[in-house]
Amino acid sequence: MGNFLSALADIFSNESLYRNAMIVAVVLLFAASGELVAEKAGTINISLEAMMLAGAYAAAVGQGRFGVWGGLLMAAAAGLVVSAVQANMSHRLAADQFVVGLVLNVLVLGIVGFLVGSNEPASHVVDRLKVPVLSDIPLVGPALFDQPWVLYLIYPVVPAIWFLLYRTRWGLEVRAIGEDPNASDVSGLSVNKLRRQTIYLTGMLCGVAGGYFLYARSGRFEDSLIGGRGYIAIAAVIFGGWTLKGSVAGCLIFGLVGSFVLTIPSLGYQAIDPAFLAMAPSVVTIAAMTIFAKRVRQPAALARPFIRGLK
Amino acid sequence: MSNLVETPHSDAEPLGERSKMASVSEVVTLYAICLFVALALAAVLVEFASDKGSWTTVYTVILDGAVRKPGRWGLTLGIAAPILLVGLGTIVSGRAGLVNIGQEGQLVIGAGVATYVGTRIGGPGPLALVVMLACGVVGGALWAGIAGALRFWRSVPEVLTTLLMGAIAANLVGWGLRNRFLLLAPPEGRANRNQVSESLATDRRIPRVEIFGNEFPLSIVLGIALAIIVWLVLGRTVVGFRLRMLGRNVRTAHRSGVNEKRYGIGAMLVSGGFAGLAGGVMLAGGDFGDYQLVANFGAGIGFAGLLAALVARQRALLLVFIAFLFAGLRTGSGFLRATGVSARIADVVQGTLVLAMLLPPAILYMRARRRVIAATSART
Amino acid sequence: MTSASDDRFVNGQFVNGMMGGERSSPPIVELIDITKRFGQIVACDRVSLTLHSGRIHGILGENGAGKSTLMKALIGLVLPDAGQIRLHGKAVQITDPIDASTHGIAMVHQHFSLVEALTVWENVALGDVGRLDHRHVRERVGEISEHYGLHINPDDRIADLSAGMRQRVEIIKCLRRDPQVLVFDEPTSVLSPSESEFLFAALRRVVQEDGKAVALVSHKLPEILSVTDEVTVMRDGRVVRAGKTAGTVASELARAMVGRDVVLRREHAAFGLVDPNDIAEAPKPTDAHGTTAASEAAAPVLRLVDLHLRGREGRALLAGLSLDVAGGEIVGVAGVEDNGQRTLGDVLSSLAELDSGRVEVNGVEVATGRAGAMGAAGIGVIPEDRHDSGCVLDFTVAENLFIADPDRVSRRGFMSVASMRQKAAELIRQFSIHCTGPDAPMWSLSGGNQQRVVMARELSHSPKVLVAAQPTHGLDVGAIEYMSDQLRIAAAAGVGVLLISTELEEILDLSDRIVVIFDGRIVGEMAKADVDVARLGLLMGGAGVARV
Repeated sequence: MGNFLSALADIFSNESLYRNAMIVAVVLLFAASGELVAEKAGTINISLEAMMLAGAYAAAVGQGRFGVWGGLLMAAAAGLVVSAVQANMSHRLAADQFVVGLVLNVLVLGIVGFLVGSNEPASHVVDRLKVPVLSDIPLVGPALFDQPWVLYLIYPVVPAIWFLLYRTRWGLEVRAIGEDPNASDVSGLSVNKLRRQTIYLTGMLCGVAGGYFLYARSGRFEDSLIGGRGYIAIAAVIFGGWTLKGSVAGCLIFGLVGSFVLTIPSLGYQAIDPAFLAMAPSVVTIAAMTIFAKRVRQPAALARPFIRGLK
Repeated sequence: MSNLVETPHSDAEPLGERSKMASVSEVVTLYAICLFVALALAAVLVEFASDKGSWTTVYTVILDGAVRKPGRWGLTLGIAAPILLVGLGTIVSGRAGLVNIGQEGQLVIGAGVATYVGTRIGGPGPLALVVMLACGVVGGALWAGIAGALRFWRSVPEVLTTLLMGAIAANLVGWGLRNRFLLLAPPEGRANRNQVSESLATDRRIPRVEIFGNEFPLSIVLGIALAIIVWLVLGRTVVGFRLRMLGRNVRTAHRSGVNEKRYGIGAMLVSGGFAGLAGGVMLAGGDFGDYQLVANFGAGIGFAGLLAALVARQRALLLVFIAFLFAGLRTGSGFLRATGVSARIADVVQGTLVLAMLLPPAILYMRARRRVIAATSART
Repeated sequence: MTSASDDRFVNGQFVNGMMGGERSSPPIVELIDITKRFGQIVACDRVSLTLHSGRIHGILGENGAGKSTLMKALIGLVLPDAGQIRLHGKAVQITDPIDASTHGIAMVHQHFSLVEALTVWENVALGDVGRLDHRHVRERVGEISEHYGLHINPDDRIADLSAGMRQRVEIIKCLRRDPQVLVFDEPTSVLSPSESEFLFAALRRVVQEDGKAVALVSHKLPEILSVTDEVTVMRDGRVVRAGKTAGTVASELARAMVGRDVVLRREHAAFGLVDPNDIAEAPKPTDAHGTTAASEAAAPVLRLVDLHLRGREGRALLAGLSLDVAGGEIVGVAGVEDNGQRTLGDVLSSLAELDSGRVEVNGVEVATGRAGAMGAAGIGVIPEDRHDSGCVLDFTVAENLFIADPDRVSRRGFMSVASMRQKAAELIRQFSIHCTGPDAPMWSLSGGNQQRVVMARELSHSPKVLVAAQPTHGLDVGAIEYMSDQLRIAAAAGVGVLLISTELEEILDLSDRIVVIFDGRIVGEMAKADVDVARLGLLMGGAGVARV
């Protein structure tokens, strides 16, 4: 028992645990903030994986020609393209949004895999940028302020999403259609158009998420790069009760669990089969949703397609 | 009955009977167009991205690999069997209104349990085979049942739980394959085995038949038989009726005596059971390796089954053909390596096909509903 | 079919204390030859109408006459196929509600356009354009609320407001943009009598003080007669009568509405008429020997004992509701919307589980919330929203008829399609359900026919109790008559009928005994012979009852 406790202490006092946790948390957060807006509008987009993967691939290809910023822009564009398919098939043509999302995941994986097979993009890792003073805070300082500089992009994004949702007219309309699309329609709002717009936003943010992850991690593109994190981002939104604060908390927690997979073996604890570490994020996610699902209030019209005249 | 005065519009004209021929041809055209667009998109991708093969070669090669070359359609049948089984399970849960997307996980758990049982129990071959498959069914069923329980007792959306449990399943089985006491095969000579199980003894493999030079396991026969049963149960029995009711309108169903917990969890169990059976059949059928469990055993069959069910619009009999089609894509793409085109193109074709197949029903549904909504809202 | 604007001011003398003397009332909106088709059905056929400033214009017609479609065209929810809309003499195109409001036309909807989860000011701001300035919106809400005496707090959540208060928010939402034309679509269906009075007083103020034009869409004759300055009657999509309200009588309007001579007593529920004398004299359903079923039955067939149920957000939906229904009697539960009626219906449909209390059928307790238990115990329900819990739209008529007892058409678990079709055909004939056959999808039937299917199914189980919640909502006169007849027949056969309705006229027409529901419990009761409409109104509004 003593060994176990001291092992725990060892793990949790290790800087790199938090560093890795933050890196994973941020990719989740880019995706989750977009999906939060989309779910507030009443949609669920399983295709976050596809958007992120497309973004990562575009970033890998783009940075060779246009540098990192260019790569990120291309990533956003790629995510936007995927999200356009999701948005228009589900909220213009009334195809089932779960099915479309799922298929997109497989389709984009296939397309990207196919393209990589033909010409593999070069890799590129982004430098770390260390913020003085703040990064000296014990334990979490380096995690927050001594990271690849692309990570810092999340810091303005989160408050911007908050402002968008709660202080602008667009945000008010988005929230209205997620609660009562019929009343909103009668009040003159264009329900499906707004829904599509939120999904486009999600697409761009997820694209950036993919690009960011590529640059922050290994720089080398593999089609397993996203590895299911798109689904965990959705879970974070649910876990957070469809609030921004909750989603941030969810992403941090899931990021921490995700980083166990990397950190624990590297610290020398080989006793645990890596399979269990790999499982941990999924198990924690399910456990979290089980505990919290009944207590949270979802947007009333979540996952219900809107066709005027149909209840 | 008191005298009823029929005011002119008190009963709307029942929806006009459009000529049946007209609407059937409209549906067929719509599908044909979407199909064409899907294949065209994939063709464009090949032309654009690969300098090694033109789209005509790709499609010819796939066709060869799927059915034309000797022995191939037998292989395709063998691959179609588990796809069909998974698809049937998806139809059951789908008709009940549930979104099960964890078939890969349920399949692999089923295969894992079947391997464990199949490599350990004694007894006459055929009996062992049946027991083994039954255990696979139970394994898959329970795996899906957990998600069902979470959905109905804790309101956790099953779309996420089935998916996440799929990831867990893959890891669990991987772990099982690293441990002798579970699934790992005993060392061969002096070298340790790496993540493979023992092969099944010859007497507990699914019998294979040969017709016109094509060899395939009887699992496809089982699949077709089960497809007919599912079709009958869903369409003609009281249980199926109640299940479909649940899938369409939970409140009306509840009012009418359908206990959604019982029917819903039951549907999930059946769905997982089919996937588990598919896993067992993949193991004992012989078309997926050498009758042994290996890492990444699922090979995307679970997903293919899910997609096949969607393309088949939740119709069991149609699923038989769609499963064959998807299997054909897989076996066909096996031949692609020789041409230098990445086998991934098969995934792409599969994906675009599914997307394209989603469009016609969506369009038709919207049009039909619009007509009716217009008719009924005209009455105010 | 011509515009009814010509004979306005010959002796501008109106009855009921309305505008006396001549006053210049320029037309604000002219609808000219508006035509709208939905598929083969012509909802509006060359309809013309003029709305003048300073006047309340009533648009009367039964359900299905086309009045709502006409107003939807005015507000931009529907685009007319032909015809013209003129604003102050200039032709305009109205493409959507926001466009309509820029033209100064606003509508207070029948079933509100408010988002429950948001606050009053957020709802009022919805549909605006431009930057969101919450301070400005809040101020505006306060101003309007003061000016018209509406007493609404901008920061209240809609979910916490009663139906009457919500309507006021709707009105503020309209008035905020300072429209010139206000359209009210069946506004009193959710109001108690005193709230209706209040509303009409507010309308008067709006029209007289600010010179706006008001269009009042209704199917209730008394309202139209007492409130409007001019009235247009529509039938089958056409205007059949137009003119000043003063000097018209109910029977003329009724005849115009229905197209034939009308025996008002039979139809007064459909027209919203309430004549206490008529009520007391209405014949009770009797069997061949002239005895009423009610007079024979002693023990109640349905007993509701102290029902309590709290909703998701802690709100008490049922707060000690107790009620008995005897076999053969029709008990009418009157009340304003949202006082527990829906919850009561849900409990009796097995869709809600009680926190405490008992439901007994013939003395035997029935488990609440358990799937199908109420139906099995003999309680048939015609629900308020048939699409929600009354039927499965995607199933066929035959399947819907046997949705609760498929065993009746099956053997050993296998359903017999032939048997189902045959039995369904019988029921279709018996209840005159208008459809293409037993295999017609439910969604292809009209509202009235769908209601017949639900009725047929429930009655075919020979229930001991029949609960009818808003059974004639949205139906035309013929269908209303039919439903009312069916309820009387059921009662005559010994079924205990519980009629839950927000239409007081319907309750008064059909019930043997009337109770009032308020705040989740029964607050008053009276027999038909002793009915006191004024007192009913007070009880419905909660007067004299301590809030729980």
